[in-house]
Amino acid sequence: MSTLEIKDLYASVETKEGRKQILKGANLTVRSGETHAIMGPNGSGKSTLAYTLAGHPKYFVDSGEALLDGEDLLKMTADERAKAGLFLAMQYPVEVPGVSMTNFLRTAKTEIDGKAPAIRTWTKELQDAMTNLRMDKKFASRSVNEGFSGGEKKRAEVLQLELLKPKFAVMDETDSGLDVDALRIVSDGVNRAKENTGLGIMLITHYTRILKYIKPDIVHVFAGGQFVKTGGPELADELEENGYDEYLPEGSKESALA
Amino acid sequence: MAEQEINIPVADPKDPYTLPAAMPSSADNSPRSFDVDAFAVPTRKQEDWRYTPVERISEFFEVFTPSGKTAVSVSNIDGSTIDGSRVSQSVVDRREAPSGTVMKPNDRVSAVEWNSGDKAVVVCVSGDLDQPVLVDVQGHGTDLDALHLVLDVTDGTHCDIVVRHEGLARLAEGVEINTGKDSHVSITFVQEWDEGSKHVANHRIRVGANAFLRHGVVTLGGDVVRMRMDQDFGGPQSDLNMLGIYFAEAGQHLEHRTMVVHNYPDCKSRVVYKGALDGEDAHSTWVGNALIKPQAPNTDSYELNRNLVLTPGPVADSEPNLEIENGNIVGAGHASSVGRFDDEELFYLQSRGITESEARKLVVRGFFADLIEQIGVPSIAEHLMSVIERRLARGESAEMQAVLEDK
Repeated sequence: MSTLEIKDLYASVETKEGRKQILKGANLTVRSGETHAIMGPNGSGKSTLAYTLAGHPKYFVDSGEALLDGEDLLKMTADERAKAGLFLAMQYPVEVPGVSMTNFLRTAKTEIDGKAPAIRTWTKELQDAMTNLRMDKKFASRSVNEGFSGGEKKRAEVLQLELLKPKFAVMDETDSGLDVDALRIVSDGVNRAKENTGLGIMLITHYTRILKYIKPDIVHVFAGGQFVKTGGPELADELEENGYDEYLPEGSKESALA
Repeated sequence: MAEQEINIPVADPKDPYTLPAAMPSSADNSPRSFDVDAFAVPTRKQEDWRYTPVERISEFFEVFTPSGKTAVSVSNIDGSTIDGSRVSQSVVDRREAPSGTVMKPNDRVSAVEWNSGDKAVVVCVSGDLDQPVLVDVQGHGTDLDALHLVLDVTDGTHCDIVVRHEGLARLAEGVEINTGKDSHVSITFVQEWDEGSKHVANHRIRVGANAFLRHGVVTLGGDVVRMRMDQDFGGPQSDLNMLGIYFAEAGQHLEHRTMVVHNYPDCKSRVVYKGALDGEDAHSTWVGNALIKPQAPNTDSYELNRNLVLTPGPVADSEPNLEIENGNIVGAGHASSVGRFDDEELFYLQSRGITESEARKLVVRGFFADLIEQIGVPSIAEHLMSVIERRLARGESAEMQAVLEDK
């Protein structure tokens, strides 16, 4: 049983106009096996929260903590955070030319586990995971994310999630750009990971569509760099009905943020 | 080889685009001669020398007496003796064919090389070879030396040749490559000189009719290495693939200049050079010239150079030049870039648990991967990758720290 505690997190991003504070006191606790949907309007800082947790070099922590079983992730390098058990499924997975998926996955698995996976079981595990996600075998020999369609990239993210077995996953708009079939396949993958490893999930999304497949235990509204409301699954339906209007500050100034 | 009669069509001034241009190219007008005095002593004011630290190689600007200390030996790549019925090696008078038949020297240093010494090492290859031939060039000290190497491949031959340069040397090298019609040949030149070495090379290459030549260059060491490679075709429907890999370290100047000439119809050329630069004042230069002559319709040419700067401090010059004198071509593309590590790529790999240094290795490995694969000689590819990885590992401590701080 693990716990991820985000405590009073303030963070900024480097923009052309200089540093801009986006996160303004975010607080959240996620436990193993819990699925938290994080919903909110454009520009509310949801992706900033995801990147700040994962340690993207463009984002700066101003204050606060993110404790994974008591250890502050924010004091670690990005690879140390991954080794501690955090996984970020990116909205826009990055292409790495010339590095094959096979080589990449094996290297990552070796780093995360601290030892190389046994070849035979690893190969089978990889093949099974790819079959489950309906990924063509050819993917394994292609360069990381290079020439993948939007849907293929999202499947590849979930493939990594299943293979690397983190304690907590931040899914940053994993549903965007997916058709109905791909959405189901990807959701099944996330549910499998949860079932197999007791994964705790922070599911960032604009839409309730994915919540039909990945059932949240808790739904949060994130606006203006903070969690502003927390409820059960019914909150998602309410948001679907009424939109985010009531959470936007006067004049919608915040929605203009990156 | 007899000079081909060229009738350059004259354009109709009312409709200038129906016929190929009648404009002589600048490359056509530059001198070709065995005579040193046909070329001015290089200065950085001359176009061909603007990127070269000429003061560091001025010993190659006047004819000298070669030390003769450079040793050349020919074997199979695994060290076994060559098959004498297919591969022969001889040392002949430099003025005796096939030496001196593939074009003429094209700059001061190549004319100096020609006139410094009177012998040529001639390697002739014929038939189908089942393993690569290794031409091993060992430098033995910094006394000035000159080497003239002729690689003559007969019609229909299929072979791989590796020319390896090692040791300590100050060498002026002339290489003539002549491939026969219908041949399929790969020749890879590896420069892995010891610290303190200088190497000025001039390749003159003729690709036979309906032949394929892969000309590979791998430059990993030497204080100053300058290679100029001029090529033309001996007939139509030929395919030239020039590829280069270089890794310049602090203080080194590694320069590669390719000159591809399309002088027959229906030929294809690809030039792809990639380099990594690491450390203070590491300097690389790539100049890719391509000339498509009026008599070469249906030409398909492309050239590309990419540079990956690993640390602050290096300088990479990259310059493609195209002269296209025929409008009826398939393509004449070029691309050139100088970039540093992509933060997004590194972050993506790191976010999967891969350490920064390992991520850098993966990215550099990926950067060179397609080229190394194309070289097609596994022992060279493996060796190359291990040399590059050793270098990256070495850079991890102090210099990587500097990069991190730079961010």
